[in-house]
Amino acid sequence: MNTQGRPAADSPIARLVEAFHRLPGIGPKSAQRLAYHVLRAPQQEAQELADALLEVKRSVVLCARCQDLTTESPCRICGDASRERTVICVVEEPLDVRAIERTGGFRGLYHVLHGVISPADGVGPEDLKIQELLARLRDVDTGVTEVIVATNPNLEGEATSMYLGRLLRPLGITVTRLARGLPAGADLEYADDVTLGRALEFRQEVR
Amino acid sequence: MARAVRAADGGAERGPDDAPAGTIGPMPARIPRVTKTEAIVLRHRRLGDADRIVTLLTPGRGKIDVVAKGALRARSRMAGHLEPLTRTEVVLAHGRSMDIVTQAHTLDAFVTLRADLDRLSSAMYLVEVADRLTFEDVDAGVAYGLLHVALTRLSRGDGLQLTTRVFELALLDASGFRPEWGQCVACGDAVPADRAAWSATAGGVVCERCRGGAGGAAPIDARVLRVLRAYQSLPYEEAARIRLDAELAARLEQVMHEVMHHVVERELKSARFVAAARRAGASAATIADAAGERG
Repeated sequence: MNTQGRPAADSPIARLVEAFHRLPGIGPKSAQRLAYHVLRAPQQEAQELADALLEVKRSVVLCARCQDLTTESPCRICGDASRERTVICVVEEPLDVRAIERTGGFRGLYHVLHGVISPADGVGPEDLKIQELLARLRDVDTGVTEVIVATNPNLEGEATSMYLGRLLRPLGITVTRLARGLPAGADLEYADDVTLGRALEFRQEVR
Repeated sequence: MARAVRAADGGAERGPDDAPAGTIGPMPARIPRVTKTEAIVLRHRRLGDADRIVTLLTPGRGKIDVVAKGALRARSRMAGHLEPLTRTEVVLAHGRSMDIVTQAHTLDAFVTLRADLDRLSSAMYLVEVADRLTFEDVDAGVAYGLLHVALTRLSRGDGLQLTTRVFELALLDASGFRPEWGQCVACGDAVPADRAAWSATAGGVVCERCRGGAGGAAPIDARVLRVLRAYQSLPYEEAARIRLDAELAARLEQVMHEVMHHVVERELKSARFVAAARRAGASAATIADAAGERG
């Protein structure tokens, strides 16, 4: 400790604080709290955290087919013979695969782009796993007839879906987009024009 | 209660009793707690698990970052009104470091832009240009008006090149970076279009005599120069009558991208996306043609 009561910059505590501070959404105070929590925790708990961090970096790879995070390639979904193989759902992030799987309503395969076209953030089509998707679709053995683009319903998601549509339609593949409209529990009064317009456009018969 | 106030010019503190009898003395400048303004949403980024920092271009306060609390939640009442490329009316509560959006209402969502990849990518480019050429707490009434008009023109189907180039030239002019297409930037003489060279570094065209002194000056297609002069000087409706073939449009775009790159001192990332969208269209057309021939 120096005279102001702070750990020296090269001390183990300062290095741990700095490591936590590099994580997204963690400010300097939160980083300190986390570091001191680890310091006070039993040796076993700290060891488990360290092991988990190293293990995830060592064992998690990208599935060679769908680009999802997995411990074995091909991943569990790509290797499942009971999945429908003619439909691929394209998502932005691995967490989106988990979200769609939770619904239990989709039995096809996935493709993870690992991002979305966002010029404002310097992300272009070449930074995403689009070439891998094209290679997969051009492989005649896959027999894919439909690609569902499940990017988020925002500007970047729209740009990505239109870009994919432009690329994939000439391959003779049907390109669809998740339906857009009002979320459950929304108020019409507060809906924006785009959302409300699309909710009207994609209205359904009441059954 | 007599309370000392600091003069607006930063002068010494004085009490209200110092004002001459019968007049109202200088009032302290107060920042209103809630303000209302219209704005165009330039971009946003995530803040924690549920909030967003939204960058707005406003006429009066220039470019500002504001916090939209809960905008990442599916049931957010504001998220749709704060999407990039939306002209919106916002109510802002004065915050310590950033203002907080308390209400947002869409004035124009430019819906047709979002259904056409070429228009959408061009609109993203316009927004990035406006983002780079505007600043916080600097009046941006002209820039705001130009962006609003350009997005309106794009969404109603005006030419992509026309709308984009006219916007770039007008915004450069308003920002103090007007390129000089008529007279030599070195000697001031009028430069004939068919004997001109140009340099982004020099800020415009140079005549044959001065070309040696303008490092990096390169020849410029006379047709490109005539179009640039027309776009810079003619009313929009007259400029819209100029017909551009694909080659001329590409050269025009190349020159203006060089100008913008020089002015903003960095690559405009959306320009790459405009090109990628166009390439995707061209390759799709090629595949479709090949399939047609096979069929």
